[in-house]
Amino acid sequence: MALKIIESCVNCFACEPLCPSKAIYEAKPHFLIDAKKCTECVGDFDVPQCASICPIEGAILDALNVPLNPAGSLTGIPPEKMAEAMAELQAH
Amino acid sequence: MELPVLNEKPKGGCSASSCGSSDDQLNHLSDEIRAKVQNHPCYSEDAHHYFARMHVAVAPACNIQCHYCNRKYDCANESRPGVVSELLTPNQAVKKTMAVAANIPQMTVLGIAGPGDPLANPERTFETFRRLSEEAPDIKLCVSTNGLALPDAVEELSKHNIDHVTITINCVDPKIGAKIYPWIFWKNKRIKGEKAAKILIEQQQKGLEMLVAKGILVKVNSVMIPGVNDKHLAEVSKIVKSKGAFLHNVMPLIAEAEHGTFYGVMGQRSPTALELQELQDECSGDMNMMRHCRQCRADAVGMLGEDRGDEFTLDKIEDMEIDYQAAMEKRKVIHQAIEAEMNSKRAAKVEVKAEKLNTRPVLMAVATSGQHVINVHFGHAKEFLIYEASPEGVRFISHRKVDQYCEGDTSCGDGESVLQRTIRTLEGCEAVLCSKIGYEPWEMLENAGVMPNGEHAMEDIETAVMAVYNEMASAGKLDEVQQRATA
Repeated sequence: MALKIIESCVNCFACEPLCPSKAIYEAKPHFLIDAKKCTECVGDFDVPQCASICPIEGAILDALNVPLNPAGSLTGIPPEKMAEAMAELQAH
Repeated sequence: MELPVLNEKPKGGCSASSCGSSDDQLNHLSDEIRAKVQNHPCYSEDAHHYFARMHVAVAPACNIQCHYCNRKYDCANESRPGVVSELLTPNQAVKKTMAVAANIPQMTVLGIAGPGDPLANPERTFETFRRLSEEAPDIKLCVSTNGLALPDAVEELSKHNIDHVTITINCVDPKIGAKIYPWIFWKNKRIKGEKAAKILIEQQQKGLEMLVAKGILVKVNSVMIPGVNDKHLAEVSKIVKSKGAFLHNVMPLIAEAEHGTFYGVMGQRSPTALELQELQDECSGDMNMMRHCRQCRADAVGMLGEDRGDEFTLDKIEDMEIDYQAAMEKRKVIHQAIEAEMNSKRAAKVEVKAEKLNTRPVLMAVATSGQHVINVHFGHAKEFLIYEASPEGVRFISHRKVDQYCEGDTSCGDGESVLQRTIRTLEGCEAVLCSKIGYEPWEMLENAGVMPNGEHAMEDIETAVMAVYNEMASAGKLDEVQQRATA
């Protein structure tokens, strides 16, 4: 059982000091989670700390590769609205 | 010559704030506060022509989300959107600050404003402040925060050389807050909705009170979001003033779809320059307003409105050898010379008066690059300074940026040319004073109800504004109440 940080991470450092297992470390091109150390905060907190402060939707995945913060859950922007805006910008 | 900002609209006759020795917004402050801020480029319209400031980007983490911010970039409130700063370690930040201070002796202020929230990165922020307080004691330190972690940081802040804290307060009502802040991270949980906004608001207000109690100056920033908090900010202004904030800076929302922010993508509009000015006027009855804020990036370096950051990138400062003791001596001499110049200009200031006393006030835009003279071609102006001329005199109202995020292309994609966009930023103004102007913009300005004027090139701004006002008055243009020009 371990969480994972993927390439959409913006290296904001917010998660690193919160990890009770010191499993998160700075790396290039983005922060990583040491799967051997990660406990998903079980026993320390009700909710995984990294995923509770991470501002980027989809940047942290669970063991089944499911994003803990799916698209739209943090910004409040409906995914279809975001897709529409991006398509509009691409067209220019 | 200075740029006077009066805080109350002249109500006829001669009020204490509209003539006499009143020079800028700082005159409303106590002597103690004024002494602290008069050389601060961000707080004094006067000082910003002489002194410079810099920001260091040491604070990447944030503990809240704002709807005007996309964390893939810097904070769109405290910094320009769509820009990523070069993140510095505290050690690099100290080195960069001292390199800039030695090379730009006018640099008097170092701020930490992001790219996240400085107080959500307490170790990095305080390490930078602690070392600068010791190693560069002639630099003033300041910090901007969303306020969530502020009450816990006040004690530590009071230990360093920090006398200015800026809190961004967009509301005092959780219902409004829930429309601005989708979540906060609080006591190991992500909290959403009104509950989150309520905690944030309480922390901001508590932090404000604690800072004031410690004698630390507090400025409040607010982002004006039409339809969300625009009607609410006058109340915010009243409350923060009553709690002891010394200055309120109402800034326009910056929201574009390409920034990927909630407001940008959802089509939330920004306020017009005129709406912003009207709100600032409304708040100014209760509060000292800041009107010349240029919404700097989190890593800006130089005089307000300019950025010399490229001269001080990490690889460049790496090679610089700085003898700070020697630099400090040099800085002291230069600061004294600048202060002497500022004082002599203040003393030499002549009251500019209108001839006729029953005419209405007029807004005019001025193209200038500084030095208090009209010296920029209309087509080259990146911003206009807006002045109000009335029988009581000339007062500086605000600056308006033009062509903010549209570069290269002459069309902005929505069928509006750069020129049309520029003219739209002059909404409410009846004249524009510049060093020169082309035929095409001249005609378009006239059609938009703005009178172009290139007759006062290289003249003192206030004298020229008053001369144009007097001409308008003699031509009988100011006798009746006219509709404000709408472009």
